[in-house]
Amino acid sequence: MSRIPPLSIRRAVLGLGALAGFALGAAAPASAQRATPCIGASWELTGPLAHFGFALRAGVETALAEINAAGGVLGQQLRLVVYDDVGEPARAVDNGRRIGERDNCIAMLGGFRTPNAIALREPIDEMGLPWIGVVSAGTQVIEHPNGRNQWMFRVSMKDRWVAPFLVNTARARSRSGRIGIMYEGTAWGQGALPELVASMRANNTTVAATETFNIADTDMTAQLIRMRDAGVDTIMFWGVDREATNIVRSMDRLGYRPQIISAWGIGVQFAQTAGPLAEGVIVAGTFTWGGQLPERAQGVLARMQARFPEIRTPADLLMPSGTANAYDAVHIIAEALKIAGRFDRTAFRDALYRVNHQGIVANYAPAFERTQERMDAILPASYRLLVFHNGALIPLEQSPYGQPRTN
Amino acid sequence: MSSVLQYLLTGLSAGAIYAMIALGFYVMWSAAKAVNFTFGDIFMLGGVLTVLLRELGLPLPMAAAGAILIAALAGAVIERVFVRPFNREANAIGWMLTTIAVGTMIESATTATYGSIGRAMPTPLVEQPLRIGGAGIYWQELLIPVVLLGLTFSLEGFYRRTVLGRAMRAVAYNRVAAGLVGIDADRITMLAFALAGGIGALAGFLVAPIVQASSSMGVVVGLKGFLVAIIAGIANAPGVVITGLVYGVMEKFIEAYLSTAARDAIGFTVMILVLLLFPQGLFGRREVQKV
Repeated sequence: MSRIPPLSIRRAVLGLGALAGFALGAAAPASAQRATPCIGASWELTGPLAHFGFALRAGVETALAEINAAGGVLGQQLRLVVYDDVGEPARAVDNGRRIGERDNCIAMLGGFRTPNAIALREPIDEMGLPWIGVVSAGTQVIEHPNGRNQWMFRVSMKDRWVAPFLVNTARARSRSGRIGIMYEGTAWGQGALPELVASMRANNTTVAATETFNIADTDMTAQLIRMRDAGVDTIMFWGVDREATNIVRSMDRLGYRPQIISAWGIGVQFAQTAGPLAEGVIVAGTFTWGGQLPERAQGVLARMQARFPEIRTPADLLMPSGTANAYDAVHIIAEALKIAGRFDRTAFRDALYRVNHQGIVANYAPAFERTQERMDAILPASYRLLVFHNGALIPLEQSPYGQPRTN
Repeated sequence: MSSVLQYLLTGLSAGAIYAMIALGFYVMWSAAKAVNFTFGDIFMLGGVLTVLLRELGLPLPMAAAGAILIAALAGAVIERVFVRPFNREANAIGWMLTTIAVGTMIESATTATYGSIGRAMPTPLVEQPLRIGGAGIYWQELLIPVVLLGLTFSLEGFYRRTVLGRAMRAVAYNRVAAGLVGIDADRITMLAFALAGGIGALAGFLVAPIVQASSSMGVVVGLKGFLVAIIAGIANAPGVVITGLVYGVMEKFIEAYLSTAARDAIGFTVMILVLLLFPQGLFGRREVQKV
């Protein structure tokens, strides 16, 4: 029988103690730490989606400048820390970790892509980091399958609410009642399809044709011929500018001109690439900087233009809804911090449910409620229909297309 | 019937672009037994540079000529810097990596400077479609197969009737023997890459008014052009042209009658089957070497 030397026992006890201390330290929630007055963000700053990153930066920095010029929050200046994710989920997760653990920011803003936001669900929950999406509209970003979302909020549209909004618009605009769906073959497009079909069913309307297309497809005549042959006169479209341009070109080839009612993937860029073919295309959104703006929004636009000389006209804000959502989201964060009274993530998260704020997109009263469904701030009542007219994206009611078809 | 005509017309137009890209691969392969793997980026330069030169105030023909010249120069530089030093050994494959790397650099640099989003290139030929038997096609799209045919015949004439063209054929046939009779094979190869660059840029310029000029416009087209070149047997110009046109039309009929989403999967499956049946490509010939 061997005897354990006393020194080894002491070492073992010390080692176990150190291990236990380390484990306890690691287990302490990050939210218990005092956070710093920074708002982190993971956006698309380079690569093919870089213009979306700029659109968000314009809104956020303008709002932060207003807040800081008025004395900041709790006596401190809020600052923005942005990391580039190039639209890739893995990088968004890395950036989220940096923001939550190294920078110890009080909150994080989301970017454009839904897959990035979905990839962040677990790390955000682990870190206890309040995350506020301003674009990515995927339903499951906020309504988690496990029903236990505690930290992810959104000041943007939600696909599950957009679908009935589009369906109602399409039904009001269709002459024949023959409504089709065209969607891009991505997670975003495929995720929207069941929402649209369910909304159509709920309205006792059948889908006359369903077509998909691939990213970077340049010719959609095959899909459109099938739509035409099915008698479709109104197409609900789920895609982005480039493919939308190629669709209206294919329509022009065929001499087939159904009404397009689009989810908000189409931005101002569409008018620049499609030219006159963009005329009359209707888009769901939360805001546009084109047309006649309310006085407050005019002021925001002027300050944004003063800060970013590259915004010469409203047409340079390529994702108008995203910019406005981001602007409102920062003001909601500032209001919540004032209510929380300290830079503590849990207190801040709880304060988000008590924020009442009049934004440029909506009146948030309150911004959020304690159910997954209402961790979205912008309600369908604030969704708007926008239309391309004379090369600009303007509110439908300010255009000649304001009235639904009557024949 | 009008639908079938529509698929034929748009298929021929798309196929003509694939064929032009494949012709570029043919020209490069003939001279160097190597290609610029990311030739789609040279194609992209044709569209993007034309838009940029027009924004600088040049009229369209001059802008297009300038873009084609710059792309030709880029082709020559790629051969000199990224292909030749890595293609000295008999079975060298380093040029594959270097050309992929330089293509990525070109695309990233274009995204950073030109921007990430496509820009329109309006021309009078895309203002109104032409109606034929119930089908519709833009004049610009009709122009592409016409230019392809002209280019193919010009290329044949160039190879057969000019000193430079004959020198290229000589280098393609036997690089060592061409050198022994005083042909500077390295210089000829560089000129062949420049010629291919010009062809790629011409294709990019022709298609940009239809699809927007963007930094990513060459990714898929470049890959399909290479696919067409391989199916045809890369060393046969008429074969490359025929295969490109057929592939474009086939894609449209797949979209129309089988599946839009599975178009590329079916196309690539066809390529694999063709290569199984015809390892040298549809129009390729087995190269016999006397030892």
